[in-house]
Order: sequence, then C-alpha cells, then structure tokens
Amino acid sequence: MYSSSNTEKRNYPANRSEKRPDHTLIPPCQAACPLHMDIREYVDLVAQGRVMEALQSIRSGNPFPSICAYVCTRPCEEACRRSQVDKPVAIRALKRFAVEFGGDRMVQAEAETMYPDKVAIVGSGPAGLACAYYLRLLGYPVTIFEAHTEVGGMLRVGIPQYRLPREVLDTEVRRLNQIGVEIRTNTRVVSLDLLFELNYKAIFITIGAHQSLRMGIDGEDSPGVIDGATFLREVNLGLKPSLGDSVAVVGGGNVAIDAARTAARLGVKRVYILYRRSRKEMPADPTEVEQALEEGIKIRYLITPASIVRKDGQLYLTCVKMKLGKPDTGGRRQPIPIRDSETVKKVASLIIATGQAPQTPRDFGVRIGRGSTIQVDPITLTTNRSGVFAGGDAVTGPATVTEALAAGRMAANRIDDYLQHRYPMPTKQERETLTSELRPETVEMIRKIGRIEPQVLPAETRTKDFKPIELGYGWEEAINEARRCLRCGMGAEILFQDKCATCLTCLRVCPYHVPYLDDSGAVKIPPDQCQACGICVAECPAKAIVLRNPREIRHITEELDHVYKSAAETKSKPFIVGFCCQYGLFGTGTLSSLWRGAKAGVWIVPVLCIAKVETEHLLRAFEMGAEGVFIAGCGEQCARENTTLQVTQRVEKVQKVLTAIGIEPERLKIFVPGTGDIDTAEELNEVFEQISGFYLESLIKQEAKD
Amino acid sequence: MIVAEQKPLEEIMRMIAPYENVLILGCGTCMTVCNAGGEREVSFLHNALRLAQAKSEDMTHSFTESTLKRQCDPEFLEQLPERTNDVDAVLSLGCGIGVQAVAERLTDLPVLPGVNTSFMGMTKETGIWDERCAACGECRLDDTAGICPITRCTKGILNGPCAGTKNGKCEANKEMDCAWVLIYKRLERLQQLEKIRRYYPLRNFRTIPRPKRITSNTGIEAGTSDG
Amino acid sequence: MMANSLFEEKLNSGEFVITTEIGPPKGADISEMVQHIDLLKDKVDAINVTDHQSSVMRFPSLGGCLLVKERGGEPILQVTCRDRNRLALQADLLFAYSRGVVNVLCLTGDSVDVGDHKEAKPVFDADSIQLLRIIKTLESGTDTAGNELKGVPKFYAGASVHPEADFIEPQLIKFDKKVSAGAQFFQTQGIFDLASLRRFMQYASQFDVKILAGIIVLSSAGAARYMNRNVPGIIISQDIVDELADVEKGKGLQKGIEIAARFIKSIKEENLCHGVHIMAVGNEGIVPEIIEAANIISVPS
Repeated sequence: MYSSSNTEKRNYPANRSEKRPDHTLIPPCQAACPLHMDIREYVDLVAQGRVMEALQSIRSGNPFPSICAYVCTRPCEEACRRSQVDKPVAIRALKRFAVEFGGDRMVQAEAETMYPDKVAIVGSGPAGLACAYYLRLLGYPVTIFEAHTEVGGMLRVGIPQYRLPREVLDTEVRRLNQIGVEIRTNTRVVSLDLLFELNYKAIFITIGAHQSLRMGIDGEDSPGVIDGATFLREVNLGLKPSLGDSVAVVGGGNVAIDAARTAARLGVKRVYILYRRSRKEMPADPTEVEQALEEGIKIRYLITPASIVRKDGQLYLTCVKMKLGKPDTGGRRQPIPIRDSETVKKVASLIIATGQAPQTPRDFGVRIGRGSTIQVDPITLTTNRSGVFAGGDAVTGPATVTEALAAGRMAANRIDDYLQHRYPMPTKQERETLTSELRPETVEMIRKIGRIEPQVLPAETRTKDFKPIELGYGWEEAINEARRCLRCGMGAEILFQDKCATCLTCLRVCPYHVPYLDDSGAVKIPPDQCQACGICVAECPAKAIVLRNPREIRHITEELDHVYKSAAETKSKPFIVGFCCQYGLFGTGTLSSLWRGAKAGVWIVPVLCIAKVETEHLLRAFEMGAEGVFIAGCGEQCARENTTLQVTQRVEKVQKVLTAIGIEPERLKIFVPGTGDIDTAEELNEVFEQISGFYLESLIKQEAKD
Repeated sequence: MIVAEQKPLEEIMRMIAPYENVLILGCGTCMTVCNAGGEREVSFLHNALRLAQAKSEDMTHSFTESTLKRQCDPEFLEQLPERTNDVDAVLSLGCGIGVQAVAERLTDLPVLPGVNTSFMGMTKETGIWDERCAACGECRLDDTAGICPITRCTKGILNGPCAGTKNGKCEANKEMDCAWVLIYKRLERLQQLEKIRRYYPLRNFRTIPRPKRITSNTGIEAGTSDG
Repeated sequence: MMANSLFEEKLNSGEFVITTEIGPPKGADISEMVQHIDLLKDKVDAINVTDHQSSVMRFPSLGGCLLVKERGGEPILQVTCRDRNRLALQADLLFAYSRGVVNVLCLTGDSVDVGDHKEAKPVFDADSIQLLRIIKTLESGTDTAGNELKGVPKFYAGASVHPEADFIEPQLIKFDKKVSAGAQFFQTQGIFDLASLRRFMQYASQFDVKILAGIIVLSSAGAARYMNRNVPGIIISQDIVDELADVEKGKGLQKGIEIAARFIKSIKEENLCHGVHIMAVGNEGIVPEIIEAANIISVPS
C-alpha cells in the first residue's frame, strides 16, 4: 500500500524541511510601504481565510498594526497594481480586519532583558514607541520620557479621535508596558548630559514637530485665534474650547482638515477652510478632504487672510484672493496675491494650521538644520553627538505615522549595532523590485472584481460625536476584497533552463499571454506579468517551471501525506479525498458549505487554485487508498481563466488510466459549482453516494472472494 | 519533429511483467514536446504503474525514474550506466531511435519501448500533431508547391488526384484534405500549373534501403551501416 | 499495329458499343460468375472483370478474364496499382497477353482503408498514368528497367475518367496525361447528369480516344445515398435520389433500371459518346433488361 517513505524525485531540494529558495520579486506595495511589510503575504492569507496567520505576518512587520489600520496614509494602495485593472486593493481595511479579528492573540507577550545597557527615548510619539518596542524585543532595558501627561505624541494630541479611537492607542501602550517598557510621563527632558549621567548608554530623540508656524500677519495674537496643533491637543486632552458659531481654518494639510472636522464635531455651525492654493495642490489626504466636504465644511480656494481685527467678540479677517504663478522649488505653483481683491470675512474664531516644526532645546547640543529639524546621518541615524540618535518628525518635519514607525525601527537596529559595537551593514537588496506596468493583453484577461469600499458612517450623523467614521470589514467582505490581489512577483519561472525543450506549451496554455519568445529563441516568463495561476507549472511536459512562492506552507504532496496519516488514524471508511480551491472554501466561496459541513470520511486538501493539481496528485490519492477523489473549483468566482478546462483534461487522462487498471473512472470527478442548475451541496451529496456505492460493492466482492 | 504516442497501459504492464526493478527513462527533446515521454510523462507513468500494482496487490515491481536530454546522442547515454545499477529492465519512453540507442549502450539489459513512434510531423496547435514527412530521400516539394504527396496523399501517388476525391477530401478519410487538390490550388496561386501537367515517372524506392547512413554531408551510402 | 482485340474493332467501327462488368466471388466457387458470363457474353461487346473493387479481396480479375475468354466472350482486364509492384504488374501483363487478354483498363485503385483488409500494406508502386506508360514500355520491347524482352506484347489500353467530379480541372489534367501516356479508350465514372457529360465531351472529342459513359444501376434511394457516402468517386444528384425515394417498396430496382435505360437512350440518341459501360453492382442479372429497355440491340461479333 502507499507508504509515505516512497520519496519520488522532485524538483525542489530533496530535504523537505529545507527552506525553498525565495525568487519572488518585491511587489510595489511592499516597496512603497515605509515599513516594507510583506503585504502580499498577509493579503493572500486573508484571502484564504487564514486570518490568524495573516495577523502573524502583519505583526512580524509592524509594531502597531492597529494604529496603522486607522491612520496610515496607504502609500501601498497608491502603488497597488490592481489599479491598472480596476481599483487598488483596500489594504488598510484588510489589515484592520485582521487586527480586530485577532484581538490579543499573536501579540508579543514577553521580552527578556539580555543586556545591561539602558536606552533612553525622548518623546512617546510613534517613532519613540516603535523604537522602544524593538529595542525591548532585542533585549534592552528601555525608558521613554514623555513631557506630557498622556503618551503617544501626535497619535494622542494631533490625530482626532474619530480617526484614531483612544482605546486603540491605549491598548498598544498597555502592551508596551507588559513587555517591560518603562514610560515616564510628565517628565520633560531638558538636558541629554543628565541622561548620560543617569547611566543611559544611548539616547533616541523623537520629540516630533509640535510647534505651529506663525503666519506673520497683524492680529495673529488676538484672542479667538488659535493654532491648529494646540487646538487639536486641547480637544484630544478632553477640553472643549468654545469656538462660537463660525470658524475659519487657514491651511490645506491634514492638520487643517482635522481641525475643521473637529470643530464641526464640537458643534460649530459654519466651518470654513481657507487655502491659498487650489484643490489640486492641497497636501491633505483626498479622502479626508472628501469626507470634510460631505460633513458640510466649506473650502474656499485661492484665498488667505492678510490681517485680523477683533471687534465686539468677533474676528474680522481681511482676505486676499490669490492666483497661481510658476512652480516653486518644491514643484508646487506659487500663490500670488491679486491686487485690490480684499474682502472681509467675519468669524467667531480662527484656527491657523499652516505647518509645524520641531522645537529642539538648545541644551541638547545637536545640530539643527532647515525647518528646525535635527540633522542626522541617513544610514546610522546618529546626530553629531556620540550615542545620540534622532528620528521621526523631529528629523523629517511633519510626516506620516508609518514613516515614524519605520524610523523608530531603524533607530532600534542602529542603536543595537552601536551598543554591540557592530558596524551597521547597509541592507543588501537580494531581491529585485517589481516596477513595471501590466501589459494590456494581460489586464484584459484578469477577472474584474470591483473594490469593496469599507463602509463609512453617513455624513449627517457622524459629526455629532467623535466615534470612528470608518467601519471595519465583515468576514465575507474581507475575504472577497483580499482575493483581488494580483500577487505580483510571485509567479512562475523556468527554474531549470536546461530541461526546457522550448515546446511552447507554457506560451500556449497561459490565459494571460504572459510567456514570450525572446530574440535568442528562449522562452521567458516575465515575473512582473505572471498572474501565478499555476497552469503552466502543471502542464510543462519537462517539469521545468516552478512557482516562485516559497511560502506555501504545505506543498500538495505533503498535504496528501498528512491526510493519509490522519485518515489512517481515524479509520473512517469510505475515505474520499477532495482537492478544493482555497478561495472557494473560505469566505463567501461557492464551496464554503463543503468546508463547514465536512462529512465524516471526506478529507479536503485545500489548494491555491485547482490549476495546481497535477495528474500525479490524483493518482497518489487513489494509491493512498481513497475510494473516491474529487476536484472542486470555485467556478465562476475564479479569478483565473481556463482553469476548469485544463483540469478537466487532466482528469480525463487519469480516468483513462484508471479504466486500464480496473478502477471505475467514475470514482474521479471534477465539478465546478455554480455552473449548473444544481446546488453545490446536492452535487457533492450525489458524488458521495455514488462512491459509497462503489465501496459497498467492492466490500461485497471482497467477501465473496474470501 | 518525431511524434509518438505512449503505449496503452495494459501493454506496458504486460511488457514489464517479467522484471522486478524497472527504470522508466524519459527523453527531453521530441518526446517532451509531443507529450509522450518527457519528464512529466515519466512521472505520470510511474504513478500509474504504482497505483496499478497497489490495486492488483502484486508488488513485484519497483520503479526508478530518469530523463535524459536526448537518448540518441552518445554523450547523454554516458549518464546511463550509473543509473542502472540495480535495474533489471529499462522502459524507455524515447522514440524508436532512443530505445535502440539505449539498447546498444546497455548491452546486458532488456530495453522496452514505452511509446509507439508514429511519424515525423509538426505541431498544429497544443495537443495536435500532423504527419508531414516520410523521409523518402528524394524531396519533390518544389514540384508540388510545398505539399508532400507521399505523406499527405493516402495512396502516395505522384500523378494525382485519383478519382476518389470528393469535396476536396480524401476517399479514405473524409476529414482529411485531398493533397492533390491542395497541390493544384497552390500551384494555381503560384502560377505554376505546368508542374502538375507534367508526367512524373515511377518513384525510386531505392533511396530507402534499410538502414540508411549519412556521413557528414558527403552523400548517402545505401545499406552500408552496421545496424 | 492493332492489337488482336474485338473490342477495339467494334469501337473503331463507329457503332454504339456496350460494355458491362462483373464482380468475381469472394472465394473459390466461380459457378455464379460463370453463369453471369454466359448470360452476358452475347448481349454486350465486352465484359470488365473488376479487380478487388472497393479494396475488398476477391477472386482476381485476370482469372475472371480467362474464364470470359474460355466461355467465348470478350474480356477487359482491370489492373489496379494498389496491390502489385512494377515487377508483378509487368508479369501479369505478359501473362494476360499470352492468353489473349489484351484489353486493359489501368486504374490507380481504391484506397486500402475503404476495404475489408484495412491493415494490409498498400503498394501503389505506380499510379494509373505510370501504369499506362509501363504498358507502352513493354510494347516498345523492354521492361521498365530497360532490359530487352523476349517476346513483345501488344495491348489495347484504357483508363477511367471522372466527368462529374466536383472539382473538374485536375481531372481534366489527368485525362490529358492519360491520353499522352497511351490510353485509347476511357470508361467514365457513373453519369447522373447529362449536362456535365456534354461539357466533358466537348473537351474530350478533340482527342482521338473512345469514351464509354458509365451507367450505374441503383436499386433504391438508400443504395444511392450509401454510394454517395461510401463509394469513392460516385456523386448522385438529389433529383435521382428523390425519384427513387418516391416509388413504393420493392419497386426500387425497377425504377433504377428505368433511370439507367433513360440515360442510355439519351446518350445514344444525342450521339454524345461512343457507347456505355453498364455497372450493375451485384445485380449483373438485370443487365439484359436494361439493354432492352433502352432499345438497343447489340450485335456481338
């Protein structure tokens, strides 16, 4: 009978536990992410319904995924190549789904202290928190010094609660405490020398950029005029500044939008944003701008206040209209005041949100550069003082949370290098990055499945409080959205060029027209175009093509071995093996009833698309003693073309052999749910009954023989 | 390219019946391209034979697999002896040439043919191969507008068509085009109809004595190989 | 110099010539064939004996021709290239000549695949045109390898032609080649449309060859359809099939005879060609009836 010790010659390294070589290309989403998270991996795991494993992958790349899930600006989605087909994959929403699904599981619960060297972190913003997290896991005792009462930096005082709920941040801080990070609030660091005297061996300055920039116009100091950062801080700390019934916000960045939307939630009836350039030049997140407009906030473009006068408890703003001139060094068109275009606006309060800068104490003794930012070496993150590192907004000026997290992680590694007297190695790029566009012939063949937008609370009601406005995905929505990912760079490659006979089969069977003949007459499969369906891998007559994916936890053959062992233990008969598409099994898949209602004796081998099931796998299943074998694809839901056709041909070939051997060919079935009028569950039931019938027959025959 | 078809499983099982340890040997060139004996087919056959054994509960055979880039070149055959140490028979999935080449190399082992070599042909589309050349040794494709009357005419006549052609198809196989109708039409297109008006004398079958030998383009010496 | 052939004489005399064919048995019992020969030998000018017609193995044409000769009839030997190489072909011709069988119809032969021995080796060492030339070569005193013959034969050679082919141009080229190769008489494939015969004769009359129109006797609509589908070279028009389908059961053969007689009468009256060749496949016994129905009386010499 079948014995799992029958190792057949395989293309992969002979030792099964050896890690398969990673030939994948770095996809654009990962390249765009400041943290270089393996987005492709976790999105794919969500698509398969393996959400906990997705969460594990997320947590290995991101210290606070719950925070990013709410506030990250999604450079990954901007780079996502799915937008070449329809709309980008909703990556942030998927991350949030995984994080919320997992709760406290997969969280790093403990950390050991391995070194005596203490590290001080000045500032508890995202960069500081991330640095603390990684240093702690590396084994260092860490203390964060926070000047304010509350921990979190901009996360706490800058970002409104309707964008980042308080509980989320609190949870992360609590987890840091749990692994042993010491946080001292209400402790303003005024001198670094003092820290060194207190025996800290390295210091990471991450004080952020909280100092609002002044406009420099008359009346800026009048009562009723407040700067954006201060306003948001007060609201986030629980104060309710009274703004009157109308507010104007000057500025076009995220702080201005946040301030305006916060004002609306405080009950201000009329909220205006005055921006000196046009909508196109606004640096704020376009989605935020849209939502602000929905919430009734009015934005006036090409206008700016030139002077402020307070009278009778109201502010009179003399505003000047602007026109756009030539682009400046940053590439944005300069606003030029139009002569004699002054108008006067009357508002109860004015919020100025035209930019922030870090405010570094001179006593720190670190070199300051443009925009009041701290100067550091880009590779080592060191300042001019030995043992003093800096990162985050304090170095870059106002930037995104994710960039700060990345800076924190990098600082942790550099501090570790410093303390262990290691020369920092520049990260070697072993894998290529995928940058090119999909060819139109390929895009045409990709199934168009529209993006599932995460639900957002309706505009009229959401301004009544500070509850988060974006709702998370349900299970079905998440799985379906994750399936849209093209898995860039994970496709097929001709690994064994010497085996390739240039028979051109791969060229002909590819539904996406990806492989091509180059000038020297060799077949090339461009990794940036391949959709990783696996058809050519299974069809190549020389077995020269493999999928680059090293991550598939179990190769189909190993999966079968596992099934065999399990089936042998339970001794349940008859024993049927079903190869089912993973996408169909989980989530809203057409095979989900099969997964949930698995009958006794039926062993499902989930495969990442049935196109990968080869004829040898089917024969093996019978050899293991299966009474019946079926293959179930996800049918019309399949995002790949031609899979059913190819697999049907393979099934027919095996059926011929089964007949020759004396096994009824009806024991092997393929069906594609959703294509007939029969309901999936019913079809499956029929299959089971038929196979049970065969089984009983063979039992009777056996008895007669004995 | 040489096109073959794998023998039916029952026939293969009969052939290997007397042997215990069988090496299934594939070929990485023509047999791979026509899906008859490449590495994948070797693996498939191996699995099928093992399954057949399991079903019949007769476990006498054990199998090993190997694929040579080509079975018809001596350098590739050099790799063979080390793979046949405990082997009692070699089931070659190479074409008839490969089987014989392997047999010449492995003088002490029986070499069994796993495929039926059928013809020299071309790929029409994936999975469909058509015969095109009979290796007659006196190619006359210039007289017949590039369409071979030996392979594509059922009777192989030189002054065609015969009277059996109907609707441009052959009397023997109604799905097959009558080669001579094709030749006529093509010559008409090329404005060379005088070629079909000529009398073509009896064929010289002497160009195919067996076995033929070609010695690096210096000419054909009929019947002088040591096969 | 003319061959010693009564058939040739009759054709050259200008009279309307009638030939027919008999199929030999599948086996050694030739009694039925002898009956047919006796029935027909005085009613027609010459009798073809078919040679493994439709590639079905039968008693050979050469043997049948010897019997015809014995019984006093005028035989036409049908030689196909399917089964014999050039040595055998030349040998059979020498033998035929030695026994007075000099009328030879040269055919390429039906494909082995349509017959009952589908796995046999098809020879086709020559085709019909090359066979005609082989005859010419023998008549010139050598064999095809150039060796001198001891005793030179002389034949009256003919071939077949297909005036109703759906794609006529290549067939006309073949006709030309056959004439150049030495064919002196032609028996056509079954005629079912006089217009095409007329057109063909317009072309063929420029050559100094004798044409006999082939007349096939159908026994039913089913038989007609079967022949259309399976017998190489036969194309029966829908009108004829309908005519046969219209009659009541059992009267099919009568209708077939009537149709055949009609054709023969028209051909004779219009003087379209030099005669007819009646093919009553498996129904040799009705040939006299057809001839009578067409009001022709033949005077055997």
